[in-house]
Amino acid sequence: MNRDFRTIFFTVLIMAICILLQSTILGRIAIRGVRPDLALLVLIFVSMRRGAMVGQVSGFATGFLEDLMNVSPLGFHSLLRTVIGYVYGLLSGNVFIDPFLMPIILTVVATILKGILAGIVSAIFGLAASGFITFTGRLWIEVGYNGVIAPFLFAFLNLFKMFKQADKEGA
Amino acid sequence: MPGLFEGFFARHRRGATLTVLVLVSLLCLTVANRAVVIKPKEIGLSAAGFFQKGFTGFFNWFGDTAGSIRQLREAREELNAARARLQEMDQVTREILELRRQNESLKDQLDFANILPPERIAAEVIARDTDNLFSTLTINKGSRHGVKKGMPVVAWQGDLEGLVGKVVLVGPGSSEVLPLYDPQCMVSARVDSTRDEGLVQGEGKDRGTLVMNYVKKIAKNKITYGDLVVTSGLGGLYPKGINVGRIRDITAPTYQTSLVLQVQPIIDFDRLEYLFLIGPEPESAVPEAGQQAAPATPGAK
Repeated sequence: MNRDFRTIFFTVLIMAICILLQSTILGRIAIRGVRPDLALLVLIFVSMRRGAMVGQVSGFATGFLEDLMNVSPLGFHSLLRTVIGYVYGLLSGNVFIDPFLMPIILTVVATILKGILAGIVSAIFGLAASGFITFTGRLWIEVGYNGVIAPFLFAFLNLFKMFKQADKEGA
Repeated sequence: MPGLFEGFFARHRRGATLTVLVLVSLLCLTVANRAVVIKPKEIGLSAAGFFQKGFTGFFNWFGDTAGSIRQLREAREELNAARARLQEMDQVTREILELRRQNESLKDQLDFANILPPERIAAEVIARDTDNLFSTLTINKGSRHGVKKGMPVVAWQGDLEGLVGKVVLVGPGSSEVLPLYDPQCMVSARVDSTRDEGLVQGEGKDRGTLVMNYVKKIAKNKITYGDLVVTSGLGGLYPKGINVGRIRDITAPTYQTSLVLQVQPIIDFDRLEYLFLIGPEPESAVPEAGQQAAPATPGAK
């Protein structure tokens, strides 16, 4: 359990740095104003490696942090990232992650899932998160951007012993 | 009974945690959509602004150092050009002084009230939204610097001043600006050449354009491509006469009684670095007894 707490702490720290990078320096390499979601990639990687508990708690904490920084209502990003962290955590230990193809597939699916969830939450709560609601070009740009970066970021995160595969979690 | 509860939680630890976290998120979403007394977002914005300023400053320092050598060379060339230009400007200044004298004299004759310009607060864009779902800009000025919610924001690009948007969230040291292209941003505007009024609304970052609705169909033959659209001052939020954009397309749907104009914003939002927040109009000078001061911006409050 202690190891899980340590992992969650460092995951949130890394994701917070990613969020700060996304809001500042990554704007310079944005394609039509769209930046890669590095925090999402970190969440996918950690959830796949350390299971649903670490994934959902890290996702919730980072999402909450993101909501505090943004104009988005409190709970918006935390809900999205909690669900994604949980869903990917369920796959932990059941999917073999090769260095190239699986990171791309996992990332593409997660970004589309984020778009769908954002659309549903926005529709239910009447939010003006126009980004992906109608599945516009912006979503597909982010899907591509995240997919390209994923293999490299996964390879980098692989260097951390902390993110070593967890033993199969009990229900 | 407690043992039963603990046993259930132990068996369904992951599912129970997920349920709690999702419920907390949903509760926050519900509360955040209503008026609340505690404003954790302002605290969060302030803390985030501190780190964002640091990140922007750090990377700007590297960029500035690398660019300084090139800038030095360019500065020398610019200095020579500036000297030549200075001589021309000398002549222009003399002419301007003469025109200003004439202008003041004419204004006096027209009994114009002496209106003071509204206060402006200069700010720098230090961050954009962390995700691609929302489209706000974070600036380095907050309530400490006199920024208030709803303040109109403008910027200069090229030789033109253009409307950027309005302040939607104010923290102590930083604020969030809702850009013009956001669908939530609506501006009362008019076509500068024909004076026809309408309502400009953003179409989202994806399209990057604005749409102007409620312009009377009768104006179709008078309005041309490239016409300037400016704020009308109606509604009281945006002062009158700020450039919004230029007309790019005109359509007259048969099922509507008004025109639909596509407007290209004056401001290129991807190149936005510095901007100005417009404060409220100061009280105009006391008009002479028996006279009403003619406000320069009737729509502004």
